[in-house]
Amino acid sequence: MILDGRHEEDRLRNRFTRRMLLVGAAQAGLIAVLGRRLHELQVIEKDNYAFLSDNNRLSVQPLAPVRGKILDRHGQVLAANKDENALFVVPDLAGNVENVLDALRDFIRIPDEEVRRVIALSKRQSRILPIDIRVPLDWETLARINVEAPHLPGILTEIRKRRVYAGGKDLGHIIGYVGRVASHEPGQDPALRLSYMKEGKSGVEAGLEHQLRGTGGSVKHEVNARGQIVRKIEQVPATQGDDITLSIDSALQARVMKHVARYGRASSVVLDVRTGEIRAMASAPSYDAADIAAGISNRAWNKLRNDPGKPLMNRVIRGQYPPGSTFKMVTALAALDAGLITPDEKFTCSGSYEMANHKFGCWNRGGHGRVNLHRALKESCDVYFYRIAERLGMEKLAETARRFGFGETFDTGLAGEKPGLVPSAAWKLFTLERPWVTGETLLAGIGQGYVLATPLQLAVMTARLATGKRIVPTIEKVDGNSAAALPQSLGFEEAWLRRVRRAMFAVVNERGGTGHSASLGWPGVHIAGKTGTSQVSRASRTRRNKDLKFELRDHSLFVAYAPAHNPVFAVATIVDHGGGGSEAAAPLSKKVMSEALKIHWTTPQGQAGSTKLGQIKTKPGNRTLQQTVLRQRSKLQ
Amino acid sequence: MTVRDEILDNATPASERLWAVSWPLIIVVSAVAAIGTAMQYSVAGGAFDPWAAKHATRYIAGLGLVFFISSLPVRFWIGIAYPAYLGVLSLLIAVALAGTEIGGASRWLNVAGVNFQPSEFAKVAVILALARYYQWLPRDRLFSPVHVVLPLALITAPVALVLNQPDLGTAALVAGAGIAVMFVAGVGWWYIAGGIAAAAALMPFVWSSLHGYQKERVLNFIDPQRDPLGLGYQIFQSKIALGSGGMTGKGFMRGTQSQLEFLPEKHTDFIFTIIGEELGLVGTLSLLALYSTILLILLYMCLRCRAHFTRLLIAGAAITLFLHLFVNAGMVMGLLPVVGAPLPLISYGGTSLFATMCLLGLAMNAFVHRRESIDPKTVNALI
Repeated sequence: MILDGRHEEDRLRNRFTRRMLLVGAAQAGLIAVLGRRLHELQVIEKDNYAFLSDNNRLSVQPLAPVRGKILDRHGQVLAANKDENALFVVPDLAGNVENVLDALRDFIRIPDEEVRRVIALSKRQSRILPIDIRVPLDWETLARINVEAPHLPGILTEIRKRRVYAGGKDLGHIIGYVGRVASHEPGQDPALRLSYMKEGKSGVEAGLEHQLRGTGGSVKHEVNARGQIVRKIEQVPATQGDDITLSIDSALQARVMKHVARYGRASSVVLDVRTGEIRAMASAPSYDAADIAAGISNRAWNKLRNDPGKPLMNRVIRGQYPPGSTFKMVTALAALDAGLITPDEKFTCSGSYEMANHKFGCWNRGGHGRVNLHRALKESCDVYFYRIAERLGMEKLAETARRFGFGETFDTGLAGEKPGLVPSAAWKLFTLERPWVTGETLLAGIGQGYVLATPLQLAVMTARLATGKRIVPTIEKVDGNSAAALPQSLGFEEAWLRRVRRAMFAVVNERGGTGHSASLGWPGVHIAGKTGTSQVSRASRTRRNKDLKFELRDHSLFVAYAPAHNPVFAVATIVDHGGGGSEAAAPLSKKVMSEALKIHWTTPQGQAGSTKLGQIKTKPGNRTLQQTVLRQRSKLQ
Repeated sequence: MTVRDEILDNATPASERLWAVSWPLIIVVSAVAAIGTAMQYSVAGGAFDPWAAKHATRYIAGLGLVFFISSLPVRFWIGIAYPAYLGVLSLLIAVALAGTEIGGASRWLNVAGVNFQPSEFAKVAVILALARYYQWLPRDRLFSPVHVVLPLALITAPVALVLNQPDLGTAALVAGAGIAVMFVAGVGWWYIAGGIAAAAALMPFVWSSLHGYQKERVLNFIDPQRDPLGLGYQIFQSKIALGSGGMTGKGFMRGTQSQLEFLPEKHTDFIFTIIGEELGLVGTLSLLALYSTILLILLYMCLRCRAHFTRLLIAGAAITLFLHLFVNAGMVMGLLPVVGAPLPLISYGGTSLFATMCLLGLAMNAFVHRRESIDPKTVNALI
């Protein structure tokens, strides 16, 4: 039995060995099959698969973000987005663009040149970028295309957002407009490469581009060698841009625009002196952003661009003018601050001032006689300011001018702000390669010569004069509750500021003031201001303005703040070739200021703001200013 | 006669039994696992997270398991074979009742916060149970029909449960390995021939019980042009990856197919294609050579065993390993339909790796105790 059992075990073992070797042989055979197959794939058919591998890729389509809306300070929508259907082709998915377009032409009519354009474009740019065939697409065609879509690889439709503008010409300069993305750098948002992606070109659209634009997303598709989408792998949704609430009051803007437009080429800006908010900003002639957004024809565009009135230019931030006599407050404060004059020191004006064999004339050829600071500003005596500018020197004058915001841009949120010019000896040597001469300091002292300023800068200067604080203008609404918005003091002695303000009050409200045409004539409410005339050609010195060609006439300037006893608004107005400041800019400023005040006092929001911010202003120093104003007023009556 | 050729029994210290393991097998298996780790690193875009580090850690833990399993006496494994089988069977029932459903299939079980696939352990349990069964089966009853149906039932129970999950790949692998073990155990040729005929006859029934996506896979395999953008696409991409690798590959971590995320499940079932794409024919053939070496070592090991139980354990491990390799590699090369089968020691996945290590551990245990002949009386006493 034992032998039998042993025998059985041996037989079992032999059978196992046989069969296990058989299994092993089968395994070896099957592994050989695997090896053969690998050889087939990786050696014999290698080129074929290598080609397919190269053609294989992920198709990444950028997704455009939805642009933020632009609202006015009361929430009225000024710029928004509207849906529109777009029909486009993605060459990467279409494969042969020509064939696909041919197939598409069975359903919709596409002109030959359009086909040529699409094909040319598909060869020029990255094949993953969509090329528009028809935008906007009507619903009927859209429905037809969507039915046929499976037979039309790479032909896609989508709903896009088109920028729409409300407000017409009143807001063209402020809102600006969007246009095709000019250039796309690597590393920037890939959505910018989309042909229909828009970026701000002007105004707030450009200035606040980064807030408005949002962030592009992307959709990643798995694509096979034939370029067909196999499945969606990943979708990163685009992030919508921020909505922007402007400081602009569109009702006020419309009224200001109406007044300004009557003066032909003119501009005016209303600044809230407490917050720096730009409440209205009018530049005429203007344009309607909606016209440009709707797709402007080349002819219409060229007409806008070549118009001598420069309707595309926002004069408030881009018009650079010699500030003329509106600059005299700066010269005065520079001299007072430097301790070179006292307000009561008098200079004699005989109609001109001679220095270094050069005669510097006063606008009043007959001369003003003995003038102190008050009279010099009120009657705008040039000689007085020649004298103090000579004492000051350009360096100190320039330093003070910069403290008032000249020569810099403010980052208001509007694109294309010009900095104007505060000249210096170094600047002149560098740009004109000539040394500075003292006579140029004298001219700078009356805001002529090389000094250049924009209406916005003049409004900022006025707001800073009215408050003594470093007011910074902004096109965005300021949150009344944020303490961070409180501006710092400019560092001028309050007594000197008061003297200058009193003189500005006199300019408008005292007999003999040059800005009498800006007087409101309302009981208890007064404008303080300053006229300015900036010389365009020397001819205006000898001939009357009316006799000159329009382009050679003087610019008419006026800066103002009101109410004089508790300033809320600062206004700066320039009427191009409007003559003397009192002739055009002063009455226009009066109208603008009266509109601003009327709205301010009738809008509950405005009043709430004024009391809140008014409390901040209640300082002992202001009480004396108010008393002064009251005294002045009683004197006038 | 060296120490290692002596019979190791319960009296032999565990340290000596540990020393008696097949070191060549450990080295080659470790080499394959190292390649697996490197590929996991590559697929993650050159990072140990999220796969490579875990894979390596699990392998080292699995190696510990191998030594632990081999250090226990053979009798322990004979004794535990049926209870383990019943345990796995009840786990599979638990999956059917309370399994976690992922992607339309309920394969996972969560026990004390650990997710695992009981179906992977069914592979181990079936082989252990079959080896135990044939160790017990009196040699003269090998040809009796009852004693052919019994092991078949042993195989069918877990296979039916796994098929129900549904997991066609694992079910086929368990069934295939089980039947192969029956074959090497000595079942008569006539039964084998009859079984093949019966399987063919059952095909329509099996087909009708298949789930829609499983039918799709099979149909796609038969005619890849049917749906080139659907399921056939996976294999298309996989072949592109393999083919474009060429002789020497695109270079480690330079596979464009994998970098561009063309391949689905690239770190699990399709990892072989990454090896093909990045390391070329040199890499894929070297890997096949490594697997062949493992199989040869296992073959040598099982032929040296004295007891039927031990040699069937090793044979079962070798067959399971081979079937996984063949099904997985055949699938990615387009030779077989798409069924979920991991590439042993390389594909990412804890349960599968631990199941493989269990099998290798049992094989190692059998090898360590190769000279032990098991008295039928002890086996009978254990029932």
